[in-house]
Amino acid sequence: MLEPVNISLEALNLSTLMPMLIAIGGGLIILLIDLVKDNLHKSLYVMLTILILLVDLGSTMSLTYGATEKGFFDVLLMDGIAVLSQVLVLVASMLFIPLALTSKRFHEYSYPEFFALFLFMIAGFQFMVSSDNLILIFIGLETASLSLYTLIALHNRSNSFEAAVKYFTMGALAAGFFTMGSAVLYGISGSLELGQVAVAISERMSESGMMILLLGGAGLLLAAFAFKLSLFPFHTWAPDVYEGASAPLAGYMSVVPKVAAFVVSMRIFEMFIELEIHWVQTMIITLAVITMTIANLMALVQEDVKRMLAYSSISHAGFVMVAIALATDKANTGVFLYYALFMFTNLGAFTMLWVSRHKDRVHHARFDHPYEKFSGMIKIMPMGAIVMALFMLSLAGVPPFSVFWGKIYLMSATVDAGYLWLAIVMGLNSAIAAYYYLKLVVYMFLREPSKEINHETVYYNVSKPLLTILGFAVIVTVASIFMVNPLIEYINAMVQSSNFGI
Amino acid sequence: MDSILTILIFFPALAGFLGFVVDKNSAKAYGVAVAAIELLLSLWLWAKYDLSNAGMQFVEKVDLIPQFGISYNVGVDGISLFIVIMAALITLLGIILLRDDTKKMKNMIVSLLFLEMTMVGVFLALDAIVFYLFWELSLVPMLYIVGAWGGPDRVYAAVKFFLYTFAGSLIMLVGLLATAYLYHEATGDWSFSILDWYTLELTETQQFWLFLAFFAGFAIKVPMFPFHTWLPWAHGQAPTIGSVILAAVLLKMGTYGFVRFSLPILPDASVTFTPFIMILSIIMVIYTAMVAFAQKDMKQVIAYSSVSHMGVIMLGVFAMNAEGLGGSVFLMLSHGIVSGALFMLVGVIYERRGTKLMSEFGGLAAVMPVYATIFGVMLMASVGLPLTIGFVGEFLVLLGFYNVSPLGTILAGTTIIIGAVYMLVLYKRSFFGPLTNEKNKELKDLDKRELTALIPLVMIVVWLGVYPKPVLEPIDNSVKLLLTQMEKKAISSETKEAIVINEKEAK
Repeated sequence: MLEPVNISLEALNLSTLMPMLIAIGGGLIILLIDLVKDNLHKSLYVMLTILILLVDLGSTMSLTYGATEKGFFDVLLMDGIAVLSQVLVLVASMLFIPLALTSKRFHEYSYPEFFALFLFMIAGFQFMVSSDNLILIFIGLETASLSLYTLIALHNRSNSFEAAVKYFTMGALAAGFFTMGSAVLYGISGSLELGQVAVAISERMSESGMMILLLGGAGLLLAAFAFKLSLFPFHTWAPDVYEGASAPLAGYMSVVPKVAAFVVSMRIFEMFIELEIHWVQTMIITLAVITMTIANLMALVQEDVKRMLAYSSISHAGFVMVAIALATDKANTGVFLYYALFMFTNLGAFTMLWVSRHKDRVHHARFDHPYEKFSGMIKIMPMGAIVMALFMLSLAGVPPFSVFWGKIYLMSATVDAGYLWLAIVMGLNSAIAAYYYLKLVVYMFLREPSKEINHETVYYNVSKPLLTILGFAVIVTVASIFMVNPLIEYINAMVQSSNFGI
Repeated sequence: MDSILTILIFFPALAGFLGFVVDKNSAKAYGVAVAAIELLLSLWLWAKYDLSNAGMQFVEKVDLIPQFGISYNVGVDGISLFIVIMAALITLLGIILLRDDTKKMKNMIVSLLFLEMTMVGVFLALDAIVFYLFWELSLVPMLYIVGAWGGPDRVYAAVKFFLYTFAGSLIMLVGLLATAYLYHEATGDWSFSILDWYTLELTETQQFWLFLAFFAGFAIKVPMFPFHTWLPWAHGQAPTIGSVILAAVLLKMGTYGFVRFSLPILPDASVTFTPFIMILSIIMVIYTAMVAFAQKDMKQVIAYSSVSHMGVIMLGVFAMNAEGLGGSVFLMLSHGIVSGALFMLVGVIYERRGTKLMSEFGGLAAVMPVYATIFGVMLMASVGLPLTIGFVGEFLVLLGFYNVSPLGTILAGTTIIIGAVYMLVLYKRSFFGPLTNEKNKELKDLDKRELTALIPLVMIVVWLGVYPKPVLEPIDNSVKLLLTQMEKKAISSETKEAIVINEKEAK
């Protein structure tokens, strides 16, 4: 017989649950509307989703947060990075969802289920980032992932199904790793809360055989997150999945799930690092270095711009992973700064692919976006070429465009932590990466257009909402120099008031 | 007008933006007008420049990212003043020399104006990140100029140029970040201001590694042997205007970087590395001069001779005394003017004949006397004939470097001899002898457009060759200040001994 539990309503701190509830409720409303009336235009759902996200953003920003701000049976943790990453996720989602309003009809967006799933996915990410309880993290992760698999499959192309199934299988494997890793930690500490896990580990550190257990726990968890963050050697799904997903969704996948996974990695692995378990640090640095290098080398030989961008996203994730190993406040600030800036540029680049998306493969039998498609673009649509070149230069880390500031901040954090060689490796990798970004610039500016390329085939899918999003992306990319300081201030304040499991 | 430097930097960029609107047939006139205004502004800066003050003038500082110590900080001293004026002058003359039937003229003008912003910005920046920003941005318009208007292998050459310099400067960036970190450790503040860094005390090991990091960025740009391989490609494929700006201004960014960063921030390491730099520079001087001698293509001769003279500039920078350093800053100017003019001259003949091979020419002096004369003057200046601009800088550098190593000076002095050999051979083969090739008999002499571009350069070559004082004096003042700062900052006594500020002290 269970004891009756007495908990006052205030102690539950239900307001911490509000952001997720808004997203879930919004998703249900969209399903209800579909139940009442069929065949409503997608623009209605897009606007509704944006409004729900706005309300969600408002409620997230108005939360009281702090390193010990717990809620809902103490499983939710509303610290600085939880709020910050939710804000990032929501802003990225608001940038993404208007991309459904293309001039050509792509059928997944006419299903209201798409938008409902999308909101459920956001709720999943929000749960995932705002908890230090391994079970809740797992539930959030799986809710988000399952929705995402379906969103990919909705693109209704044979290679979208392939992508969804591939992502699902890999995701299931990662989920397995995650549960096994958590089980080991539970075995060590008898708790699933990272704070208590840390206490138990530090107490039992000297016991014999403990390191083997920890190796199992940390290793399995690292493998799980390496899948999610597409780190070497668990990155192989990424290019195929990106290629199969629609361009905006691919861009979205290169930002939002990674931000969420980075937050959880911060909570878990920085705990190990602060407990002075050095091999975790070594493992992460090794993974990061190999990831950025391999991904860069693979990106060099791609024939398709979307696959190239997929590899480039992997490489960027490797670059940011270095920060997790450093585990300093500056490095953590750098992670968020990097993704806040990278988000606009990368989403912009994928939007440019979306603008040029044609229903038929007119340029290449195998790829939707081969390099040849962009050759001589400066002559066909000069503004498009200039905007795309801006994004490419920004991704390459040419100052003063957005990604450069994230790069130097992270490199500076690396130098501060005493890893000069690592900073040089990061620098050289940026130089390798410059080659494949430049390749696209060269195609657009320095080659002659081929015959079947004309305004119609390249500018096929454009619409006003897409241009608006591109406008946002360009403004942030170009004028980032003026936004970096307030961003650093805000992020730093948030990171300061966070709880890293100790 | 306190913000003249900001105007100087951003006026061309703003004009570049507005240039998109200008009709393509009027683009060249627009470019000439803008570049002329920029030149007048830079001359006005010279007029307002206080000659008695050797330090930074017209300093502006606006915080950009105070959290990270980055601010928009610009200033000018005797070292940067004339390089900026030269950059403005070369851009103007280069635009004048553009043929009216250049394809995509508007794009060319817009890229040149953006390039001008980055060039002026690099030389005026006093904040390391602002410096880095302009330094990297300069690659983009140059990539486009080489890639869009160049020869058959233009794309390869352009991408090679970009990646080579980009890789080097990323290592330099790590060096800059490390310096900022050390400054933070020492003072508790984040700052990327070069003037703040001048006061930073660094141990010899720290200086050693930072010097190497800076070296990676600057040496590739100079380009020092053995990092020079991108340059012949870039020159070989670039259009005339690209080569002119590359040789005259962009290469100076590298040597300027050594003067502005390596010497004053890392005085001890600079002295430690002097033998190493000396050996590389002497190899560079002699080896590239010999390579120049072996070339069949006129433009390649000029390209290699330009690298060879950059070696002399490097020797001067590391002479660690006022003569050598001042001479090398002066030589940067004269090298800019002379090699710029030579590339223009090669471009002139290339436009007429569509070839640059010396074997195609011969006896040109008979059909193009004015051209031959101007070519002759520039050639003499390049070789370093007294009373031309080339003599002053080269003489001062060799004089200054004699204090460091007489043997090195003698070896470097051979550059004058080998230089004279390959230049005179080039002149003999192209301009003298019988006019054998039928195609050359109909060649027209220089027209008004080409004369407008070249005559000012000839005048400067003679004027500064005969009377260099107005330029040399401000340079000398600033250089002495820089050496004083270095000596004050140096930790080891050997370094203090190696730095010689004026002759009296040496005795």
